[in-house]
Amino acid sequence: MNETILDVKNLTKRYGDLLAVDGVTFNVARKEIFGILGPNGAGKTSTLEMIETLRPIDGGEVFLNGLDVRKGPQAVKRLIGVQLQSSSFFDKLNLKELLLLFGEMYDRVVDPVALLREVELEDKVKSQVGQLSGGQKQRFSIAAALVNEPLVIFLDEPTTGLDPQSRRHLWGVIKRIRSEGKTIVLTTHYMEEAEELCDRVAIMDQGKIIALAPPQELITRLLARGFKKERVERLANLEDVFLNLTGHILRED
Amino acid sequence: MRLKWKLTLASIKMLFRQKEAIIWSILLPLFMIFLFWFVKFNGLGHIDLGVANHAGEKSAKLLESLKSVKTLKVHEGTEEAELGELEKGEREMVLVIPESFNPAATSSLTAFVNDAKPQEAQLGALLLQRVMDELAFEQSSSLGRAIIKTQPMKSRNLTYIDFLVPGILSMSIMQMGIFGVAFSFVSLKKRGILRRLWVTPMNPNDFILAQVATRLIVVMMQITVMIAVGYFFFDLHFIGSVVNLFLVGMLGAVVFLAMGFALAGVSKSEDQVAPLANIIAMPMMLLSGVFFSRSNLPGFIHVVTDYFPLTYLADAMRSIAIDGSSLIQVGPQLIGLAVWCVISCFVAVKMFRWE
Repeated sequence: MNETILDVKNLTKRYGDLLAVDGVTFNVARKEIFGILGPNGAGKTSTLEMIETLRPIDGGEVFLNGLDVRKGPQAVKRLIGVQLQSSSFFDKLNLKELLLLFGEMYDRVVDPVALLREVELEDKVKSQVGQLSGGQKQRFSIAAALVNEPLVIFLDEPTTGLDPQSRRHLWGVIKRIRSEGKTIVLTTHYMEEAEELCDRVAIMDQGKIIALAPPQELITRLLARGFKKERVERLANLEDVFLNLTGHILRED
Repeated sequence: MRLKWKLTLASIKMLFRQKEAIIWSILLPLFMIFLFWFVKFNGLGHIDLGVANHAGEKSAKLLESLKSVKTLKVHEGTEEAELGELEKGEREMVLVIPESFNPAATSSLTAFVNDAKPQEAQLGALLLQRVMDELAFEQSSSLGRAIIKTQPMKSRNLTYIDFLVPGILSMSIMQMGIFGVAFSFVSLKKRGILRRLWVTPMNPNDFILAQVATRLIVVMMQITVMIAVGYFFFDLHFIGSVVNLFLVGMLGAVVFLAMGFALAGVSKSEDQVAPLANIIAMPMMLLSGVFFSRSNLPGFIHVVTDYFPLTYLADAMRSIAIDGSSLIQVGPQLIGLAVWCVISCFVAVKMFRWE
């Protein structure tokens, strides 16, 4: 394994009586795509938001590139890029203006067209966020997470609610960003997405990590325990049928 | 500094691309001025008669008769004050009852009339004469008959528009502050736009500052447009300093902006913020002397409304615009606004929540 860039130790979050994140420990290596899987309410978003400095840490420690998130949130903010679950952007600015403004927040003068090209939105420079499709919005929000050339990018359920074409398109974008040397931490509740994208996944349930390994290894372990699917795996599934019929081409405009 | 400037620029762009916001802050107040001007709410059909009584009890009967005439609205005051009101155009005529007044003897009274309102003056003089005649007839003890001598006086003839324009201007500053900020911030909060900003290293205060600066620019626009429209289209008797209006308008705006931030702080949705904003704004809109003079308010309400921030703002704006008051002359109102400013900023800081 590569050197560790994100080190999470015994992270805890409590909302009243509910222990939303219960002693979560994991680390992420440089240039890795790390996935946090789990059903809704498993504590994925709370975990991410504590690392992103958005939520106070109730217990445990987080080090990002050696910096203690608790002690130096401002310094950490400069190193990370964040795509929040269901967050939006100002209405009345176009994509170029928004990226320039976000750049200013990091004291940077950015090249909005290059950033939009990165997420394949260069033809939407003058559009406003309200005019984008769901997949385009998510891609724009990744572009906005890239303005400060972050070391680590956090994507919270980036493909939730997208159609299969848009989802595959976004996977392509995420893989390319990784190939440029970024580290990516994402949450999802789509298993095929985790299998396709992630080098390693942590499966969370009720605030705890219950498994952590590369996807293939988790599958191998399961089979080794004698697991058999009730239905024999077919060579294609319904999604393959859908994509075969409707094509891989994005239809957003 | 650069970020503050860029944020302000961005927020100006956003605001001006919202056509509704501009309509709300400029066209609506203008429409209200037009509407109230059109229906002439200030109650035409009576004559404002000032009475300066130097005769004490001797003229009690005369005063009583004058007050019984429906067309006459009698205001009692010192000669100086009443003549002052006449000069402003608040009175159509002022009757001076000399110390030597004797209801039972022939005497002559002087009524000062507004030379720019000859019809009202003539009607007023007739009414006065009739009252005196009736009084003399009732007493019938002598042939005593008071003669009314009228004496025209120059008046600036302030009209309802002169009252209305600074009032509505102050009200729109309040609306922009309370409603504008409360609604837009609650929406930014609800849609997660603020959260996205807080994962950047930006100082949140810079963002607030940019929002306030943008609104202050709108205030200056409101003042300029409304005074200009009033002056050129509605014959507003504007003799004040625009700079003073800007300064007082901005102080007022800060008071109401802080209230808007406080409301946005405690509310989670537009549905929550609307009733709260109305509870604060409605009483001020109706009772702070925006559309009508507060002089007719009953005693208790009058005293309470004296301390409303909108009362301070409207009185100061009116006094600057129409009487050409200096900042020192509106000192009491400025102190009132400053106190409100401290209170509302304190509350805003305590109540404001980013999430």
